[in-house]
Amino acid sequence: MSKSSVAKPKVAFFDFASCEGCQLTVVDSLQTHLDLLDAVEIVNFREAATLNGWDFDIAFVEGSITRPHDEERLKRIREQAKILVALGACADTACVNALKNLQPPDEVRRYVYGEHADWYETYAARPLSAVVKVDAVIPGCPIDQEEFVEVVKALLVGKKPPIPDYPVCVECKLKGNVCMFHIGKVCLGPVTRAGCGAICPTYGDGCEGCRGIIPHPNENAMEEVLDEAGLTLDDIMHRFTMFNAYREVETGKW
Amino acid sequence: MTDSLYAPRVARLADIRPMTELEKLFVVEFPDGSSLGHQPGQFVMLSIPGVGEAPISISSSPSRSNGHFELCVRRMGDVTGVLHRMKPGDFVGIRGPFGHGFPIEQMRGRDILFAPGGLGLAPLRSLINQVMDERGSFGRVIILYGAKRPAELLFRDELEQWAARDDVEFHVTVDRGDETWTGNVGVITTLFPKITVDPRNTVAVTCGPPIMYRFVLMEMLGKGIPETQIYLSLERRMKCGVSKCGHCQINHLYACKEGPVFTYAQIKNVPEAL
Amino acid sequence: MRLRVLPKGQVPDLVRALMADYRVWGPKAKGPQFAFEPLYDPAEMRLDYNISILSPKVALQPPQERVAVFRMDGGFTVEPVVEAEPTVIFGMHTCDLHALALLDRAFSADFPDAHYTERRQQALIVSIECLQPCDEHSFCKSMGTWTADSGYDLHLIDLGDAYAVYVGTEAGEALLAKYAPQARPAADAEVRRLNEVMSAKWPRFPHRLNFDAAELPALLATAYDHPIWTELGDRCLSCGSCTNVCPTCYCFNVIDSPELSLKEAVRLRRWDSCQLDEFARVASGENFREARAARQRHRMFRKGKWLYERFGELGCVGCGRCIRACLTHINIVDTFNAIHASQHRR
Ligand SMILES: Cc1cc2nc3c(=O)[nH]c(=O)nc-3n(C[C@H](O)[C@H](O)[C@H](O)COP(=O)(O)OP(=O)(O)OC[C@H]3O[C@@H](n4cnc5c(N)ncnc54)[C@H](O)[C@@H]3O)c2cc1C
Ligand code: SF4
Ligand code: SF4
Ligand code: SF4
Ligand code: SF4
Ligand code: SF4
Ligand code: FES
Repeated sequence: MSKSSVAKPKVAFFDFASCEGCQLTVVDSLQTHLDLLDAVEIVNFREAATLNGWDFDIAFVEGSITRPHDEERLKRIREQAKILVALGACADTACVNALKNLQPPDEVRRYVYGEHADWYETYAARPLSAVVKVDAVIPGCPIDQEEFVEVVKALLVGKKPPIPDYPVCVECKLKGNVCMFHIGKVCLGPVTRAGCGAICPTYGDGCEGCRGIIPHPNENAMEEVLDEAGLTLDDIMHRFTMFNAYREVETGKW
Repeated sequence: MTDSLYAPRVARLADIRPMTELEKLFVVEFPDGSSLGHQPGQFVMLSIPGVGEAPISISSSPSRSNGHFELCVRRMGDVTGVLHRMKPGDFVGIRGPFGHGFPIEQMRGRDILFAPGGLGLAPLRSLINQVMDERGSFGRVIILYGAKRPAELLFRDELEQWAARDDVEFHVTVDRGDETWTGNVGVITTLFPKITVDPRNTVAVTCGPPIMYRFVLMEMLGKGIPETQIYLSLERRMKCGVSKCGHCQINHLYACKEGPVFTYAQIKNVPEAL
Repeated sequence: MRLRVLPKGQVPDLVRALMADYRVWGPKAKGPQFAFEPLYDPAEMRLDYNISILSPKVALQPPQERVAVFRMDGGFTVEPVVEAEPTVIFGMHTCDLHALALLDRAFSADFPDAHYTERRQQALIVSIECLQPCDEHSFCKSMGTWTADSGYDLHLIDLGDAYAVYVGTEAGEALLAKYAPQARPAADAEVRRLNEVMSAKWPRFPHRLNFDAAELPALLATAYDHPIWTELGDRCLSCGSCTNVCPTCYCFNVIDSPELSLKEAVRLRRWDSCQLDEFARVASGENFREARAARQRHRMFRKGKWLYERFGELGCVGCGRCIRACLTHINIVDTFNAIHASQHRR
């Protein structure tokens, strides 16, 4: 082991448009993995403490970018951070925030801000990677505690975080689960990025795709599977929309 | 305690020598002074605890082992990236040597044509230096070496020594020159017209990126060298090194066991190989 | 071969007795399907199961296992982790038994893999004869794996109110003597019953392959560039389910994971699948099996040709698990039959 790697990295947490659920998961991880605090020094974490230091190595950034104003702050974080990690689906794929991208923007603003809509500038929700270079992502809505810890470990030893490129089916099979399709349920596992331990099928629910789509999905084949399960094309789009609306708007596919 | 195929031996980085922007030479030794006992063309699995493992060719010649061996490593990803940040005295894990290397006994008495491209010199250097050390038992020695840019040439001091020897025909080329470069410019295949060989008595050896060796093989065949006398070292993803994990499989062959060194005759009809 | 008879009512006692000295794996209900898992109560065991989701290889090559531990402290030490315990695998079907023979060869050839071989040495196999096909997807008859005359320590055949028990090894004999002393030599009537049961079995099993399985390696040798691979590639999700459920697949990944303190790290091995995009990709970005079609071909060639050439056993035992698991109905029997049909049309 390199002796030079023992210096404690300084870590900061930031959030944009999000439910802060991923940061809460981080707070939980700090309680379940007490040695996290021995391994890193947290210098900025509004959610858990009144720390607001700007001298950090690793920035974990939660949330989607929804206003031009956000971009400046994110770029400042990027400038400071040696490593910038998108924390959770909002930051990684724009998650449910991107649902509004499917509506005309004026309507959304009016719905959210009522008669003051014109005071607020908001635009289509986007993942961090649409604005700055992102070094690593932790997918999921919310993120998985164990995976968060694995990412921290990887960063500590200096390797890229082990986020799988393969689909949820792999973890589902390794767990020996009954396939949801065999009991009349629908599951997006075959095209959704693994890493959650296939938690939904393990507990009897189909995967909803919260971790985003794998790099090279076979879209036609997946549509056929869903079609055979009785879903219309509209149903299919609808199912993917929940967590993958940004991709839908950007690519014209689900 | 039962031993595991996947548990490495601890080894020390005795020295680290910078070579190019991307490559460093790591001199590795076992704390008990034991030797690796390798053949030219074989590789080791190099581990960094907590980071992972990567297959790396042994770059030094068995004839120059005196208690250590050398690995020439390009910074590419996790393992190689962390390795590049290590210091002399740091420890790594070593499994191996693995694989089927160059059959040096069958090469004795013959002319040898080496044609490495880029990092492909790393495995070939092991054989080249053994041949140099036993120079008398080989015929002509021809070395054609190609790199992308002058700054990417590996083992520069040794290249100079080889160039200076009158019992070695040495030609080097770069794809793109720079201000300081006065030598050949062009891909490695442009060196072939400079040499003549006695095909029946020549053994040809190459290693490099696929795009390079595909053309080099054509040149070698074009010189009339028999398919059974053309050797090439292949790269594949490897996770075990011991013919179990399946990653390195090329149709019915395992690059980690039957390879990484193959004859052209062995693989010319294996569609996935070349 | 020695033959005994064990009244069915005594099987729970046998299993309970075994549980005291061994880890006993057996088929258990999992929702509407079945899974091989450690038994904690003999009543959980369902010898009437049709087929298990994953093959019983899970008892010998677990989906994930530790293979070594590193302790770091300036330098580091390495401790191999070979975890094996006295085990009985109870209720294995004969297709899976044949698969085990292949795994035995693969893991002991060239470089013996102690993680597997140690577990295997400590494992006793009590298999059971299938008296009807597990479902429409199995083709064990075509692959010659629908019965077995070796590979087990004990082999059960359902005679109605009792099991006929073939004793395959000395270890099996000793096991029976110690844990099921009630087992007795078969009476003439029972031997007659056994013959009836077995002769009634044969016609229930269909041949699904339209040719002799022994022809597979030669057939595939002509089919490398067959258009069917593209067709399968277009349909394949690259989900890896077909290989993960397969009793003869044993490819794995090796993964190192550090502790947060960086004082310790474990080396894990986890099942991997040649169907996944990154399986043959190297750091430079080159992917030696980039097309799904090439990956499907690789799987089916491994089953029908390459493992046979290496170990003398076909890599497919006809259990049909890959067919059941595949959501896009990629079917290895149909594929082999289609190739056979097209090569023999001309
Ligand atoms: C027989 C052989 C000899 C080699 N000799 C050398 C050498 O002398 N010098 C050198 O610099 N490189 C050599 N390589 C390439 C070297 O193995 C890869 O660059 C290295 O594995 C990258 O690992 P990483 O962890 O840094 O990269 P990552 O991209 O983080 O790779 C992750 C893991 O994937 C696997 N992997 C990725 N790329 C390769 C690859 N090309 N080959 C095999 N496995 C791979 C490894 O297990 C690796 O740890 C050789 C490869 C082979 C097969
Ligand atoms: S339940 Fe979902 S994730 Fe699991 S195997 Fe079936 S499709 Fe894949
Ligand atoms: S199974 Fe699917 S929806 Fe559930 S946590 Fe995993 S990725 Fe998200
Ligand atoms: S189970 Fe089917 S879809 Fe999945 S990888 Fe295998 S063949 Fe492809
Ligand atoms: S290839 Fe399919 S049918 Fe054959 S053994 Fe594997 S899972 Fe069973
Ligand atoms: S494939 Fe044949 S041997 Fe295997 S479980 Fe099914 S019926 Fe039994
Ligand atoms: S590296 Fe595992 S089989 Fe060759």
